[in-house]
Amino acid sequence: MGDTLQHLGEGFGVALAPINLLLGLIGSFIGTVVGMLPGLGPINGVAILMPLAFALKLPPESALILLTAVYIGCEFGGRISSILINVPGDAGAIMTAVDGYPMAVKGQAGVALSISAWSSFIGSFVAFIGIVLAAPLLARWALAFGPAEYFALMCFAFACITGLMGDAPMKAVLAAVLGLALSTVGLDSNSGVYRFTAGSVHLSDGIQFVVVVIGLFSVSEVLLMLEQHLVQAPPIRAIGRNLFNRAEMALTWWGTVRSSVLGFVVGVLPGAGATIASAMAYTMEKRLCDTEGTFGKGDIRGVAAPEAANNASANGSFVPMLTLGVPGSGTTAVMVGALSLYNITPGPALFTQQPTLVWGLIASMAVCNVLLLIMNIPMIGLFTRMLALPNWILVPGILAISAVGVYAIHATTFDLVLMVVLGIVGYLLRKAGVPMAPLILGFVLGDMMEQNLRRALSITNGELGILWESPISIGLWVGVATMLLLPPVYRRLSRRRAAAAAA
Amino acid sequence: MADRILGLLALALAITMAWMAQSYQAEFSYEPVGPRAFPLLLAAVLAVAGMWLAVRPGRAADATVWRPAPALLMVMAAMVVFALLFQTLGFVLATTLMALPVGRSFGGRPLPSLAAGVGLGLGLYFLFDKLFDVILPTGVLAFILGGR
Repeated sequence: MGDTLQHLGEGFGVALAPINLLLGLIGSFIGTVVGMLPGLGPINGVAILMPLAFALKLPPESALILLTAVYIGCEFGGRISSILINVPGDAGAIMTAVDGYPMAVKGQAGVALSISAWSSFIGSFVAFIGIVLAAPLLARWALAFGPAEYFALMCFAFACITGLMGDAPMKAVLAAVLGLALSTVGLDSNSGVYRFTAGSVHLSDGIQFVVVVIGLFSVSEVLLMLEQHLVQAPPIRAIGRNLFNRAEMALTWWGTVRSSVLGFVVGVLPGAGATIASAMAYTMEKRLCDTEGTFGKGDIRGVAAPEAANNASANGSFVPMLTLGVPGSGTTAVMVGALSLYNITPGPALFTQQPTLVWGLIASMAVCNVLLLIMNIPMIGLFTRMLALPNWILVPGILAISAVGVYAIHATTFDLVLMVVLGIVGYLLRKAGVPMAPLILGFVLGDMMEQNLRRALSITNGELGILWESPISIGLWVGVATMLLLPPVYRRLSRRRAAAAAA
Repeated sequence: MADRILGLLALALAITMAWMAQSYQAEFSYEPVGPRAFPLLLAAVLAVAGMWLAVRPGRAADATVWRPAPALLMVMAAMVVFALLFQTLGFVLATTLMALPVGRSFGGRPLPSLAAGVGLGLGLYFLFDKLFDVILPTGVLAFILGGR
């Protein structure tokens, strides 16, 4: 514990260094704006800034602090457009619109905005404590992981993301496999065989991570925005009272704390993300507190809970990324890609080899949270005015910056064309209801998954038994089965109960 | 219907992958699992997922009909042209050229859209190339922007 506190102190030293503090401030601001703009979410923000941070030759810890600030900022910003125009700024803020927009319609937009900023802060703060307590332990435990355990762990990550996806688990499987398949393109380093390159030199190195992320997220988003740009609810003009009062804070307090803890736990599960956490927290609060049927009609508790969970989960998803090298969300998957640009492989060894990097990152999460709270309560007027930025300026800007990011890595036309092609394919897939988060997780984990499988089987000369030999891997396989079987069973049970109640 | 098409496409991709992966064989190897096993495993899972979707499509997704709107095709074309000419024309001109049709599709009037393109092109060029040292292509404007 004393060790942890000492490391954390050094981490704050890194996070509070002038350049990193400035980057945290810039990142928090950009994040809030990107999160707020409908259509653009944390993945887009981080994906667009990642190659730029690399091209600016920022040192790795500074680049990570910038990206972290953008990520957390997005989770703060997503609620603004949820509340004001009933269009969630990012997926994690979907549940916030359910009660946030009705509050705004009743003239309580200011209260909804400020209480959600406060509960976002609490959510992140709870997660920060959780990270400080849990991450070093988990990292130490993870050192016992061999290739077989890693393979099982990655299967667990995919089980989490497909099992919790809800309506279309088969499509999530499809997405994950597509991502894994994309990762196999290029030279197989073990055998020297070129796979799926179709003889193209541009593909012999594999597909660039940046190209995949920007194509699938930014470019496809532009096409989705085009479809939706005509259907938007009229924006709320009057904000009303700006700050929540003490009674409102007391009313939401326990729900906020409960949801924060829930959000953190969901965030730590590899694969499951903020969208799932906020939906679960909202459902939980509705079940516990909705005695008068006010949820969905502008109940302040329905605004606080999902925001707390959303932010707690976003912060919590750093735990598996840092300790196991297996990202907990789509955005942390992108950050693993960012680290790989610096030739850094996240995992348990990172805590011993690069403690300043890890603890600087963790400390900067706390710093950015304070910055975001300060930014999000008094400066809300400035952000709301930015919602008026017209799409005919915004969209060409997104495309131009995306192209700069992709071009900065290798300076080839091929990558730009591939970005657009992946964007169009991504758009069609998203139209067909295929989720993108499992795809990007598959792409990030693909190489690691295959390498670990091959390494494990090399140990036993091809005997499959090694994959479920140790207690850790057995535990993980049980987790896989639970994650895959529980949601459909639960759904069937609740359907039967609903039918019984109706009869 | 959309789900059935998606499923069949996934199945076709799986077959292509499996067919391509057939030939991936290491010359000599120290490990029991070669470069072929993992792609084949993926192809198998993909085929199962594809067949599942083709046989049991979700009801909700079938309600969405995909209409190829002209604006959509226009933006797609503009993006492809942007990518292809990015290096030849240079960042500033390519961005200007892309911003006009894209801006128009998003409800901008012609002149403001063009102006936005010029502003974005020049603004981002100076921001990234001059200030941040991210090298961007100058293309045909090399003689003005000081080409490298």
